[in-house]
Amino acid sequence: MNQRARFIRKIVYVCIIAALLLPLSWLSQPETSESKGGLLAQMRKDNQLSQANLGEIDPASETIKLATLGMRGVAANILWEKANYYKKVEDWASYSAALEQITKLQPNFVSVWIFQGWNLSYNISVEFDDYRDRYYWVIKGIDFLKEGTKYNTNEPRLMSDIGWTIAQKIGRADEHVQFRRLFREDDDFNGSRPLAQRDNWLVGREWLTAAEQVVDKGVALKGESPLLFHTHPAMCLINYCEALEEEGTFGEVAKNAWKKAADAWTELANRDLPTVYNFTIRLNEKEFFQQRSEQAQAELNRLTPPGSREKIAAEKLAALSEKEREAHDTPAEQLTAEQRTIRYEVDQKLAVGHLELADRVTGEDHAEALKAAEEASQADFIANAIESERGIVNFDYWLLRCQVEPNDDTLAARKLIYDGDKAFLSVQLPQAKANYAQGFDRWRQVLDTHPKLLEDPNLTDELVDSITHYQGVLHQLDETFPQPFLLQDVVDKDAIFHGPRLGPLSAKPTDAEKPVAEPAKPAVETPK
Amino acid sequence: MVLDSDPVVFINWLRPALFFFLQAAAVLGLVALVGGFLLAAFRYGPALGGDATYRMLKTALSDLVSLSPRRIGALARLAVQESLRRRVLVGFGVFLLILLFAGWFLDTKSYDPATLYLSFVLTATTYLVLLMALFLSAFSLPADIKNKTIYTIVTKPVRPGEIVLGRILGFSLIGTVLLAVMGLFSYFFVVRVLNHTHEVDIASLKSTPGDTEGGRSGRTTLAQNHRHQVTLDADGNGSTDIAQGHWHEVDKHVEGDKTTYVLGPPQDLLTARVPAYGKLRFKDRAGRGVDKGINVGNEWKYRSFVEGGTLATAIWTFEDITPERYPEGLPVEMTIRVFRSYKGEIEQGIRGVIVLKNPTNGRTSELKTFTAKDFSTDHMKIGRKLSDKDGNPIDLFDQLAPSGELELWLQCIDENQYFGVAQADVYLRARNASFGMNFVKSYLGIWVQMLLVTSFGVMFSTFLSGAVAMMATLASLVLGFFTKFVFEVAQGTVQGGGPLESFIRIVKQQNVTLQMEPGLSTDVVKGADAVFMFFMQSVTSLLPDFRQFSTVDYVAHGFDIPADVVGVQFISGLGYMAAVFAIGYLFLRTREVAR
Repeated sequence: MNQRARFIRKIVYVCIIAALLLPLSWLSQPETSESKGGLLAQMRKDNQLSQANLGEIDPASETIKLATLGMRGVAANILWEKANYYKKVEDWASYSAALEQITKLQPNFVSVWIFQGWNLSYNISVEFDDYRDRYYWVIKGIDFLKEGTKYNTNEPRLMSDIGWTIAQKIGRADEHVQFRRLFREDDDFNGSRPLAQRDNWLVGREWLTAAEQVVDKGVALKGESPLLFHTHPAMCLINYCEALEEEGTFGEVAKNAWKKAADAWTELANRDLPTVYNFTIRLNEKEFFQQRSEQAQAELNRLTPPGSREKIAAEKLAALSEKEREAHDTPAEQLTAEQRTIRYEVDQKLAVGHLELADRVTGEDHAEALKAAEEASQADFIANAIESERGIVNFDYWLLRCQVEPNDDTLAARKLIYDGDKAFLSVQLPQAKANYAQGFDRWRQVLDTHPKLLEDPNLTDELVDSITHYQGVLHQLDETFPQPFLLQDVVDKDAIFHGPRLGPLSAKPTDAEKPVAEPAKPAVETPK
Repeated sequence: MVLDSDPVVFINWLRPALFFFLQAAAVLGLVALVGGFLLAAFRYGPALGGDATYRMLKTALSDLVSLSPRRIGALARLAVQESLRRRVLVGFGVFLLILLFAGWFLDTKSYDPATLYLSFVLTATTYLVLLMALFLSAFSLPADIKNKTIYTIVTKPVRPGEIVLGRILGFSLIGTVLLAVMGLFSYFFVVRVLNHTHEVDIASLKSTPGDTEGGRSGRTTLAQNHRHQVTLDADGNGSTDIAQGHWHEVDKHVEGDKTTYVLGPPQDLLTARVPAYGKLRFKDRAGRGVDKGINVGNEWKYRSFVEGGTLATAIWTFEDITPERYPEGLPVEMTIRVFRSYKGEIEQGIRGVIVLKNPTNGRTSELKTFTAKDFSTDHMKIGRKLSDKDGNPIDLFDQLAPSGELELWLQCIDENQYFGVAQADVYLRARNASFGMNFVKSYLGIWVQMLLVTSFGVMFSTFLSGAVAMMATLASLVLGFFTKFVFEVAQGTVQGGGPLESFIRIVKQQNVTLQMEPGLSTDVVKGADAVFMFFMQSVTSLLPDFRQFSTVDYVAHGFDIPADVVGVQFISGLGYMAAVFAIGYLFLRTREVAR
């Protein structure tokens, strides 16, 4: 090839490059005060994708992204595989180093932060035997997530995860007593936070509330139910109250804490919550819609000729097939599996709807009846939707707890039982007996006032534990267990929830009931 | 540190390695001779071909014995000058940049910063130096041939062997100097980054619970993202706990009415333990000898577990236990994994016992109890004067190890809890070697790798163009780093079949566990794979395993690199270089420019 041909070829290359660069340059023009910039800049802005929109600009991250020459996805994949390998071979230093590199490469890949933060706090921490090491890794996971929020400032999932891990992992782990203690003592994590506020449930709530605020500003909540998302902060306050009482703090502190929890629960109840039904609800509006339905139904009944409902029911019954009728007529306990399915469908068929009833109204009242039926149906639907959402978060139960727990009777009952348990464990039997007896008296009063509390398996479980201790105390003191027992309904209810647990009243206490267990002797033989 | 196999013993390794080397050299030599003859016979006829082959062999032998150090030196000097002209020092600049900004990319809150930083500097140096050697060596000869500057050399009285050797030595020399400077910088970087101290947080000091003699405990201030718990005796001296893989000594200083506590430099952070490993065997829960302990469900089967509260035992047999070697008793170090089958007492660790036993007469020492520290090295000093199980005094060396052999029995006390151990988890810390020397030894491993890459690069450049020579060297390097995997693929032990079958599975997005549809196409694929795999196996058997030259793990985890390992690296490297030089010489000899 001669010089000239070579030169022409180079010129052609340069022209092609320039031709490709021109549209690229036009598309990627940056935004200025005078212009909106190129298409790419506009799209970046519209979708909030520029680094400045997403979070902090980290020179290290930018450098490493550039250094991989556009292959950062591949590099992140390789590092992810390596991290998995390091986890398998328990090389924790390399594992956390690999995570650091991945997040430097792809700092706005939120799932990586969430997945690996969870991995550190929940999966790596439990690999360690010493609870202090476990706590170190739980905090490392939380710090990892916090690092993620620097790069992704408007990401509610990350904030919510931080709040969840601080609250739930520290507050619910098997080692929660030790974790909560270490958390209070952790100056490095808490910084200048006052000691009284160094409670994992309260600190976790701060993050969960911050996440709520981001969502309230209009950022979409992806991958999490809005109902659960908004319930977490209020539940943190309830869990805080329970933790206080578990650790022996009662009186005004507990009372105020429960009142705050009640306020938070009310706030949740008044919040507009999106649902899967494509309308928003408020949890406290169930009764309102039920009332509205009742009013509409009353209006409908007024307009409907007497006996219409019964007539429709009879017509529906007559229209059933032979198989359906058989399923309908058979007593419930004698139904076969197939018949049970049919029976369910038959029950649905036989139910008389508001609109069906309205259809029977003729003349000038027909339109009014239809309107009332429509209103009743709609109100029923919303009330049912609220009821369903309430059931998911056990709304009524926690509402009741928030109302009952700050009462002096309940607080006193809980404190007496707590003191009884403490005296029992330190083998102060007469003291334990007195505390238990008074505590059960107080619980009787509370349960008589709020019988719905008996539906709580946790409460019956706790009380039956204490009753078992009480039984042991009486036995040790050579006294008989009182019969009928004051809280027999609690024992009976608990037997339904958990099976019978209370031993025979006259039997000697089992080993488990003895206040102090003998230390186990080493079972190892000297090698021969 | 994880050791998958028994530590290599140079003497035991040398004989089979030498045999393999000679065998491979003979086979390759024969193949080259026959191939050369066939080629020459094809071109010139059998008689002339035979003559040409004979002359070639004769000249090669004559070249070999007539190699002139002076001419090689001159050519090496030329290679050095060429390297400098090609701005090889840019590589060093990149290295300095990496060191300067390393803190940006490394996890400053690492659980074990020494391991992290040491791994980082050694790995970064390895990659940089190998890449530099690759680029220098692969492009030099082809560029000279292309620019015809080679004629300024070959017209002089130099032999092809001297050209090849001169270039290898020249590039290696420049690489060596660069590596030495990088090593020096790396050393000071690591020492500077990791060295730190703390102050005792006076306000945190409280009486140690259960200590009636006035001991106090508290914590240190925060430094380098960690702090320690401090335990002081009644005199105010003591030590810290282990955090981030190190601890500090604490000394009390009193000046007038002012008391200060001074923490020493970090201990066990930059160290080079010289371990004496024992041979591990197990006994099951009934006390019967077994090969392995229990698998508690871990995917990684490195460690075996012994069940607590039973006769299950892990037994190490140590040799050469003499008072001369261990004048102050046995310094036992243990890293024991704990597996709990139930939570038990959360604040109480799982307990175990250690017993020393004379393997000949079965005499044992009394039980020594300890609480296992998971993922942490536990230090235990066993003095010379001991008691037997009946409380009678015994001497460690005279009664328990009179022949120099001693058994260490380890059991877990707590019922239904488990201890996990591997052979390298319990060892005797014979002594401490110099960390600096260990660092140098690790760099020697990198140096050998650099020599090999340079040799391969020069060898390929004798018959390939620059870019192709570079790709060939890179392929050898990559294959060298994944030798084990490629070998496993070649042997068919990796799921997914050979290269062709894997390719088809990737295209069809087929799971590796699914069987291929039986039929002609599968038979063809498997047949082709068998040929590929034979070829892969042959190639990987001949290529150097670059990972065997890496001793990063030793240095990073604070273990002395055994002289045996260094010896193996040197001899292997030398063997490969000799073979590669011979191949390079033969190829260059056949080229017109070198005749």
